[in-house]
Amino acid sequence: MTQLALVIDLNVCVGCHSCVTNCKQWNTSGAAGPLVDENPYDKDPTGTFFNRVQTFEVGSYPQTETMHFPKSCLHCEDPPCVPVCPTGASYKRKEDGIVLVDYDKCIGCKYCSWACPYGVREFDEERKVMTKCTLCVDRIYNEKLPEAERKPSCVIACPTGARIFGDVHDPESTASKAISERGGYPLMPECGTRPANHYLPRHKTSMPIRSEQLYRSDNPLKVDSIEPIPMPPAHEDFTT
Amino acid sequence: MQHKTFAQIESRYFYALTALGALIAGAGMYAAYYIEEHGHVVTGMNNHIVWGLPHVFAIFMIVAASGVLNVASVGSVFGKHVYKARAPLAGLLSIALLAGGLTVLMLDLGRPDHVIVAATHYNPTSVFAWNVLLYSGLFATVALYLWTMMEKRMNPWSKPAGLLVFAWRIILTTGTGLIFAFLVARQAYASAVLPPMFIVLSFAWGLAVFLIVQSVMFSWNELELNPAIQKRLKNLLGIFIVGALYFVAAYHLTNLYFARQTAFEHFILLNGGIYPWLFWGGYVLLGSALPLLLIFHPALGKTRCVLAASALVILGAFALLYVFIIGGQAFPLEIFSGYEVISSSFGDGQIASYAPSLPEILLGGGGLGIAFLITTVGVRALNFLPHDDPKAVQQD
Repeated sequence: MTQLALVIDLNVCVGCHSCVTNCKQWNTSGAAGPLVDENPYDKDPTGTFFNRVQTFEVGSYPQTETMHFPKSCLHCEDPPCVPVCPTGASYKRKEDGIVLVDYDKCIGCKYCSWACPYGVREFDEERKVMTKCTLCVDRIYNEKLPEAERKPSCVIACPTGARIFGDVHDPESTASKAISERGGYPLMPECGTRPANHYLPRHKTSMPIRSEQLYRSDNPLKVDSIEPIPMPPAHEDFTT
Repeated sequence: MQHKTFAQIESRYFYALTALGALIAGAGMYAAYYIEEHGHVVTGMNNHIVWGLPHVFAIFMIVAASGVLNVASVGSVFGKHVYKARAPLAGLLSIALLAGGLTVLMLDLGRPDHVIVAATHYNPTSVFAWNVLLYSGLFATVALYLWTMMEKRMNPWSKPAGLLVFAWRIILTTGTGLIFAFLVARQAYASAVLPPMFIVLSFAWGLAVFLIVQSVMFSWNELELNPAIQKRLKNLLGIFIVGALYFVAAYHLTNLYFARQTAFEHFILLNGGIYPWLFWGGYVLLGSALPLLLIFHPALGKTRCVLAASALVILGAFALLYVFIIGGQAFPLEIFSGYEVISSSFGDGQIASYAPSLPEILLGGGGLGIAFLITTVGVRALNFLPHDDPKAVQQD
């Protein structure tokens, strides 16, 4: 069974919010929208966003790092929001595994929001229905678009290519290979929801080199009576 | 003891009370229209706290609608005349509270105009959908029970109907508890103790409502309540308050035992701002300890004390539900287990804030207004007030 999903590379995400704004632009103009924008620019912005980039400061000063964490519906393989919906408005498509909301059936009880452990359900305060990421279902199958553009709008927008879209059940897909080769992990696997979206971990780019790798104690040049490069002192003597 | 065959609230009082109830209910309906017109942005609710104050009112009324049937159940199940005489009033109150609670619940939905979809597209795996059936069923079973009591030909069926209502109300309150017990996503819930806790809470809250309404209705109808009956009911209320405290304590103590729940318990019980104040001050002190003192202290326990204790139990119920529903949502989802989130954009991992808006307060109050209106008109129009036989009281 196909399971479409996003694989997000936290190593290269710079938190520019291009995915947020492009998602909002596409979805507010398309079949999923309009998405309310009550107070989009102030300190505490409000409004409906299918995709949000959370920015965290990790660690304590001076050992701090900034971490950007894009989060949208994870299209769980066992989504907890689906069985709790009283009208069956929340459903998971068999053909591609996308979790969607049928707005005609949604009564706005918001119980799915209680059930989602990831907090990615978005209650649209103006239309008063529950909304969420559709993986741009109205885009990825749209034959009027050039084939290269049949991807979720957040994927197209990302300037660093941090978002990979594909079938995570197909071992040959770029998304699956990224997960298997680069240690991709799901969010909160302990919940047992089997999120389809995965994250690629951040890596430090430093390369530690030990002195033994640079200086050989049995330098072969010694045989040719050439003075070997002296070994560095084991401990630097700061007193002299 | 004065015996009257029918309720006789003096007309001018009746119309004044009806007008008051209609005014409160009307304000609630206007608030619902206002929210519907402007969207939920005019409420204090947001993407983190999706159920606000109206749900506190609605769940109180639904739980109390089940609990108010206590006296009817004791009458039917154990055949006690004193309680059986109160069954019609209990039935009416149950219908009134359920109607008020469901009205608030429906009008607080995003799209109350689509509520019929809940009947046409029924999802059998949803506990929320089960409750739709349970609420409708309680209306039907209580109406049937009232019919068997008030229609002489049907009197022989009143006991089986009472047993049916008893079973249904226990299942209904279990269902209400399950709405929260099935939630594994949030730390405040997902506990098997919640359904029995809601059942015992319903006993206390329902009986408190019943005692107040009974006293007020007797007073408005210039009837006198037998002190022996009053004493028996107030002792029952005391036992229910202790039972409720026991379950609430068990719920929090089991949470404290689990390492991953301790942060949540610290939030609710110690450092969560308004929530610990409401829990300890509102529920434990004012809503439980003080009523127990008023009921069981040898120098107290008279009519006024029982009324005050009942009112305090209701106050405590609102405090507990506010902490349980809104505090439970305000505590953040644990997305990065083992890490404390100090700050984040969009509020992930942080304590969510909530301030109820006026339309929400009016909507919740409107539900109480509807329940009051139905009770006042019902008592006036039909023979719902208890007629106590002093001999039967002594025999029981």
